[in-house]
Amino acid sequence: MKRFIVFTLVLLVGLGFMFNVGLAADGDKLKAGFIYVGPVGDYGYSQGHDEGRKYAEEIFPWLETFYVENVFPPDVESTIDKFVRNKDADVVFTTSYGHMDPTIKAAKKYPDTVFFHCSGFKRAPNVGTYFSGLYQTYYLTGLMAGALTETDKLGYVGAFPTPEVKRHINAFAIGLKEANPDATLLVRWLNAWVDPSGAKEATEALIEEGVDGFAFTEDTPTVLQTAQENGAFSFSHYNPMYRFAEDAAVSGQISNWGVIYADILYKVYYGVYTSENLENVDYWWLMKEDSAVLGAKRDMMINPEYVDQLKSTTITDPLLGELSVYDLIMKRREQMKADRVTFDPFIGPMKDRQDIQRLKDGEWASHDELWTIQWAYENVKGPWPDEPTE
Amino acid sequence: MIEAWVIGTLARTLAYGTPLLLGTLGEIYSERSGVVNLGVEGMMIMGAISAFATAFTTGNPWLGILVAAIAGGLAALVHAFASITLRANQVVSGLALTMLGLGLSGLFGKGFEGKPLDSTISNVTVPLLKDIPYLGKILFIDQNPIVYISIVLTPILSYILFKTSIGITIRSVGENPAAADSAGINVWKVRYACVLLGGVLAGIAGGYLSIAYRPAWTQGMTGGMGWLVIALTIFASWKPGRGLVGAYIFGALIHLSYRLQPFVAPQLLKMMPYAFAILALVALAIGPGKQKSEEPNSLMEPYVRGEK
Repeated sequence: MKRFIVFTLVLLVGLGFMFNVGLAADGDKLKAGFIYVGPVGDYGYSQGHDEGRKYAEEIFPWLETFYVENVFPPDVESTIDKFVRNKDADVVFTTSYGHMDPTIKAAKKYPDTVFFHCSGFKRAPNVGTYFSGLYQTYYLTGLMAGALTETDKLGYVGAFPTPEVKRHINAFAIGLKEANPDATLLVRWLNAWVDPSGAKEATEALIEEGVDGFAFTEDTPTVLQTAQENGAFSFSHYNPMYRFAEDAAVSGQISNWGVIYADILYKVYYGVYTSENLENVDYWWLMKEDSAVLGAKRDMMINPEYVDQLKSTTITDPLLGELSVYDLIMKRREQMKADRVTFDPFIGPMKDRQDIQRLKDGEWASHDELWTIQWAYENVKGPWPDEPTE
Repeated sequence: MIEAWVIGTLARTLAYGTPLLLGTLGEIYSERSGVVNLGVEGMMIMGAISAFATAFTTGNPWLGILVAAIAGGLAALVHAFASITLRANQVVSGLALTMLGLGLSGLFGKGFEGKPLDSTISNVTVPLLKDIPYLGKILFIDQNPIVYISIVLTPILSYILFKTSIGITIRSVGENPAAADSAGINVWKVRYACVLLGGVLAGIAGGYLSIAYRPAWTQGMTGGMGWLVIALTIFASWKPGRGLVGAYIFGALIHLSYRLQPFVAPQLLKMMPYAFAILALVALAIGPGKQKSEEPNSLMEPYVRGEK
């Protein structure tokens, strides 16, 4: 008997660690549960979402939130069960692509609960979708890279060759070419989202090839740190990483999920979104909505150490005439943040590196085109899995 | 061009091979005394988090390395107690240690995720020696002090193992503990010491990763290096010198897997080091019997006085 009690206690403590569930429910607050695929301290994707959750909870006194981290697809449904049954969740956010099917399944089971799934494409009357796109900020950092490189060789350390990563690489390459037509972008793949040792060796390998500036997709600041050790520059990724390399970090992308969460929860609270009208609700938020922010840390768009060089490098734009790269960056940012967006990196005419026409003159890439992009832009060099040949 | 290419690759080989070498040297000693420790990955990552935490809070990276050594040693003692004193199955105990290490380090490391480290063990360039043709560029420009420590340690540990009475004692305990026991050797003491040394070196390897190689803490950052160490130990035929060669071959392959991406598919390259490990082990297993005889005879066998 004693053994059994000890066993149960250990089990309970263990479960407590596994499910870092927040505070208990009270009153008539709106209750929102968040399910993350990674740890909230991963300094990458899940941490970004958790900061969004905290932001929403801070600004809405009527909101109560809780979360569970490290939830892989097979455990999504049971976690949702706990949220809905034990915590009376009104809204459930599932944040990973792999959470898609279990979310749809659970939504059928709980038709009165509102669900939002991040990064997927399946919706239902009570399931909406949302995503924050970073490609516009990648384009702006590409412009900077073009002005700052001395070797005309830039490097991109990519995680997996998915459409999202390819979209970011292409956007960076488009900016790069606009600021510096001679520069090329050398790509290396890690085939992992988190692989600090691999990122280190990939960066070192690119430096050996003569690369002096970096962008990357990997959930640690390794590329940035390695660039700093070698006197190269880099752009930070996803979270503000400036403090890891204050000389090397020129700028970067900061993903800001808070604005999306705030918007959704506000609309749920005031009855705009219900469990019956989400069939066509899809957020694809960009710079305009402040969902993607330019900078290696908040409130610093460009590292002051690099501003002079960006101001003294000039280019000639067919429409804007001769201007400094710095002014071009500001202009493009303004255009992409305007109420009526007047610029996007993916505007034709555009060819891929196989010389295949991808966008006609003046054509803007559609949501679907960007969502499924596989081709590589002209100045991209290196391996490119699943490259389309037509 | 080719010259710069080779020099660059070899310099990176040393940097990446170092944690593998340190781990392998320790595992060689542990196995020479008859104890397989599959907990290298766990000991390494315990070293990595304790080194980072110490360097972060005290600002002294070398103190971090010292604490990493102690943490690795303490973790190894768990395995020693289970497998030597309690005579538990060494495979199970080692596996448990790896899981324990990965879990505990994740828990303790929560507060250190995403924190930059200001006090690191940075790379050095050695004056004079750096001007030696070729070798200077590979070995003495922009290399880490711990790389040198591991290189110096290799011949010393090799000498002790094969040329001194301590080495004979260790090897005889691994070959035939009953005979060693009757010759008056304290089998348990020798085994404890060797397993402890293995833990200390694995801990230092982890510390190197988190405060020198890439100064930051990330959950699971050893990324399977501990398992490569197990394979390398066999590949090295339990000899420190061959351990060095093996560790550097792995280091080179891992660096090359990024260097060669423009020419070979990245997925294939990523497999390369592991495919090499499997091929090397197969070659050893079916090759001439010489290597096989190097395996300590009582490896994985708990010693019980009076039996056999």
